[in-house]
Amino acid sequence: MTSLSEPVRIVERKSIPSNATMLHGLPDVGLVGLIATSHMITQLKMGEIAYVDSELLPPVVVLHEGLPYAPLRIFGDGGFVATLSEAAIPAKAVQPIMRKLVEWGQAKNVRLMVSMGGMPVQDRQDIAEPKVYGAASNQALLKTLSDKGVEILKGGFMVGPYALIMRYCAERKVPAIALLAQSFYNYPDPEAAAAAIKEFSKVTGLNIDVSKLVKGGEEIRLRARDMMRRTEQELNRMKKTQEYDLPLYV
Amino acid sequence: MAESKRKRLSLFDLISDYMEDFLSEEMGRTFAERPSWDTKSCCIEPLCSVFVAADEVVVTADLPNTNPDTIMVEQVGKDTLEIKAEMKRKVSFEEFGITHRKGEFSFFRCQTRIPVAVVAKRMKTQFKRGILEVHLPRKKGIKIKVE
Repeated sequence: MTSLSEPVRIVERKSIPSNATMLHGLPDVGLVGLIATSHMITQLKMGEIAYVDSELLPPVVVLHEGLPYAPLRIFGDGGFVATLSEAAIPAKAVQPIMRKLVEWGQAKNVRLMVSMGGMPVQDRQDIAEPKVYGAASNQALLKTLSDKGVEILKGGFMVGPYALIMRYCAERKVPAIALLAQSFYNYPDPEAAAAAIKEFSKVTGLNIDVSKLVKGGEEIRLRARDMMRRTEQELNRMKKTQEYDLPLYV
Repeated sequence: MAESKRKRLSLFDLISDYMEDFLSEEMGRTFAERPSWDTKSCCIEPLCSVFVAADEVVVTADLPNTNPDTIMVEQVGKDTLEIKAEMKRKVSFEEFGITHRKGEFSFFRCQTRIPVAVVAKRMKTQFKRGILEVHLPRKKGIKIKVE
């Protein structure tokens, strides 16, 4: 049950699959997760099953074929549910929204949460095949990733929506992994999204064709400019560049 | 429910939030947000960033769908760099699913401010994976001997 007084509500429009894998396509560096998840929603033919309503989000609706939709929606079909945001999420709203998404996923018996995202690197334009690093919410999952040949992100900072999903999942013992591809910081990066999906396929055994992402990359970059611009403003407010910092371990 | 309660903010948090909101409002008043396209000049503004390193300034711009031979980089005014490029093919609002606006775009164009003094004559450029990179050596300052 949700109450109107809650700062973040998830409004369900259809029945929610149980025991699903939950993907997160949220605006972050290079819009990697957003591009990857949007591609998977299309490939797996998922439809809208719920949306996020919150007074913390800007007063925006997205029109598709003349009809209004919430910018932050949840799609699903069969064994998958996927969050997708078509608008930048304000930095101040990231914490309550991520907490709600994790709570909701847990209530729906999600078996695994997957965050595909970017990891900004200098000179990204010199990298032909972006490397993908993995992180997990528990030791067993970390071993699974490692056994599947995913290079583990051993140290450093994660900042932003995926960092919070990982933290809340670890707290609530919800299995979660993050697959972070080397990417541009503030330019949309469909090649990095393709690399993250390939790594997802390697981990789960589910083969997803990424040729459209690679061939249509220039088109995606052109379309995603405004979204990237607004996302960058929010990333700056989140102090995203802290990911470049060296952590202090004593 | 403890989790839904509003987090108690320290005085520093309140001041920081106030300053952030104030600056954001002031910036909004000073530089009204404008679209990233201009139908009159058929130009789209590319994503662009400036990085100041110890010995150079690096300006990059994302120029997808661009013919590299058409890229022009020019210093305009004392501290501004202009980047112009022609697209391989025209794009229209309709292709982006927008039917209530009319317009076609053939060019990228942006101007960016260089925050420190540079030697524009020694500028070097390269174009890789659709990203333009402009390297501008910084002007050398006066050396002071530490005694």
